[in-house]
Amino acid sequence: MSVRPRPSPTGMTRKRLSVAALLGSACVALLAGCAPPAPTTDTAVPVTTARPSGAITIWSWNIAAKALQGLVPAFEKRNPGVQATVDMTGARMSTRFMLALTAGVGAPEVSQLQMTDAPRYIATHRLADLTAVAGKYRDRFPPAQWQSCELNGHVYAIPWDTGPCAVFYKRDLFQRYGIDPAKIETWDDYIQAGKTIVEKSGGKTRMLPLSTNDLESMLEILLQQTHGQIFDEQGRIALDSPEAKQALDIVRQLRQAGICSDVAAYGQEWMAGFNDESIATYPGAVWLAGTIEDTAKDYPGKKTNWGVFRLPSIAPGGDHVANSGGSVLVIPASCTNKAAAWAFIEYALCTQEGQLAQYHSSSLYPAYLPALQSSTMDAPDPFFGGQPVGRLFATDITKIRRLNRTQDWGEATTYLQQGLSEWASRGMPEGDLLEALAQKLHERLDVPLAPAGTTPVAQAAGGTK
Amino acid sequence: MSRLSDRSTIGAWWAAIWPYRHFYLFIAPFFVLFALFGLYPLVFSLYLSFVKWDGLTPMQWVGLSNFRTMLGDEVLRRALWNTLVIGVLYIPPMLGLAFLFAQILNAQWLKLKAFYRAALFLPCVTPMVVIAIVFGLLFSSEKGVLNYALGFLHIPGIPWLTSEQWSKVSVAILVVWRWTGYNMILMLAGLQGIPEDYYEAAAVDGATAVQRMWCITLPLLRPTVRFCLLLSLLGTLYMFDEIFVLTNGGGPGTSSLNFGMYLFNLSFGSFKFGYASCVAYTIAILVFIGTLITNRINRQRGGEA
Repeated sequence: MSVRPRPSPTGMTRKRLSVAALLGSACVALLAGCAPPAPTTDTAVPVTTARPSGAITIWSWNIAAKALQGLVPAFEKRNPGVQATVDMTGARMSTRFMLALTAGVGAPEVSQLQMTDAPRYIATHRLADLTAVAGKYRDRFPPAQWQSCELNGHVYAIPWDTGPCAVFYKRDLFQRYGIDPAKIETWDDYIQAGKTIVEKSGGKTRMLPLSTNDLESMLEILLQQTHGQIFDEQGRIALDSPEAKQALDIVRQLRQAGICSDVAAYGQEWMAGFNDESIATYPGAVWLAGTIEDTAKDYPGKKTNWGVFRLPSIAPGGDHVANSGGSVLVIPASCTNKAAAWAFIEYALCTQEGQLAQYHSSSLYPAYLPALQSSTMDAPDPFFGGQPVGRLFATDITKIRRLNRTQDWGEATTYLQQGLSEWASRGMPEGDLLEALAQKLHERLDVPLAPAGTTPVAQAAGGTK
Repeated sequence: MSRLSDRSTIGAWWAAIWPYRHFYLFIAPFFVLFALFGLYPLVFSLYLSFVKWDGLTPMQWVGLSNFRTMLGDEVLRRALWNTLVIGVLYIPPMLGLAFLFAQILNAQWLKLKAFYRAALFLPCVTPMVVIAIVFGLLFSSEKGVLNYALGFLHIPGIPWLTSEQWSKVSVAILVVWRWTGYNMILMLAGLQGIPEDYYEAAAVDGATAVQRMWCITLPLLRPTVRFCLLLSLLGTLYMFDEIFVLTNGGGPGTSSLNFGMYLFNLSFGSFKFGYASCVAYTIAILVFIGTLITNRINRQRGGEA
């Protein structure tokens, strides 16, 4: 009996094919490089005075790729022997990068990674050791970001952009309903202001978008403010702590106050809210500004007048900072032209010129601290009614607490997201959600729980500047 | 020539093939591609079922440990249960509608048949991205079209995608919309395969329309319906893009997480390739056994044409 493949009634075949193809190519890659080269000492990038030369390829995505593309002419002028190509490989880049690393062939000279993915890749020892050449830049990056790039005192990645958070608000709506953003100090104030807006607008305007499925990212922001953690420094599960409970309580209060719009982040209605009156504020990272500007410019009608105020704190006098997102650049250990690859990273990320050029062209917010001291950060931003938002986001940036990201981070956040959306869709019942979640993480990740009573150490608060 | 153990037999075998080598060469591309992209992954993932591997670090032989983990895997149980519920929610209405439309399209009096056929088939060739945007707007609890319509009937809005009870229903509605046309085409082919003579003979004998439906159409269409049912059951198990885009990959919680989505999460979310292979293999074997049993039962009933 020979059965020809047919599309199934629920259309799985296409997807299954592509997954199969992916697995297939993984296998081919494995065949090609059955025994990936074992990491040796030459995976380190040595200090050299020789002129780099040769061709390098950089994998990156989206707007970040465009920003790098813009740097290429200046970089090639500085390094006449090097030809740099930015490959905007787009979809599933991180998966393909992983396959290339596994196979030991096919990886580019330089690749972008999400900051949150970096520890996972670093732990595999398949990234080049940058300590000798990059160690001197340690103090020029926010400690929270830099630490995600290190393992056992060695540097394997360079922070690219950061995502300091604040609240984007609509000036017109705040004015109409008599809210003064300068008076919003804590999350309590924020919720009160939200209630006023919802009430005065007759329910037409909600304070913020926060859907059942997006609670995890909100919790991550709040955890940084309460100094809570998901993992402690030893990688044990530290979610069941008073700090995390405090963060979860704020999520609960936000949802219970009736000020949230239940629209999915980055969905149609969420985007539509940029220019109508359904949503008054968007708490988010600095890179959201670019999205708002890009999306809203094509909307018909009168343009919204945007402003930014600092992230509310947990209690008066508390931190107004948190980070969300950000990327790094890395060099695979198998790269044969590490000198040229490093020259590119150094120019793009460790110079004021490189970082500021990307900030201006693509709004990538520099992780390189000297770039933040540039006076261009004080320039009034026309999109925000002349407010110098660059400076606002830079304020206290070194005070951002780091969340300990282990190699289980991605999986852990998936379970958290599932657990939180379940909790929210059941009306946020009382009872110890965090204890149950910690237990679930413990079972699913096979990682021990942190002993009770130890408060997770929030790292790296001290200013190095 | 049943055994190929000694050299002379292999030689004879080769001698039998050699004259036809050109034909073999012509069919070779399929077999090469199949071996590379079909057979090899199949065998490789069987091996993976016994290892722990995240794709980057060296594989670690763990024996039957993956299978033990699977027995206590509560999320897997939930995913299989969801798969069943979603299947029960959408397969009956989908096949019912498909049958109805196929009947109408098969009718003599209908004009513009090609147009209707294309129109009904359109959903299953529409890119999922487009569908995602449209259904997102239909199902949204804040400004969704469906809740807007319910508002006119004074029915309070339904949290289509944000409640654990309704998320499965939303997925089922999307699947019915998307795949009715496909099943309709299959059933239409089945209907057109029924000779007209039977109906004429029945009409001469004075059979009513209901009798003709009951005694001719349905029995003769049974193999087609069974085929549609089988495809739908398998499709539910491995359904992916509908859930990926509509409920954010199985939300809220794990309320609409089906087996296919769970496998995807395991392998490309958590990078547990070993465990994912183990789960996939086990379920595939269970499905295979299930299919064998139902086929056997059908044959005993003498159903299979």
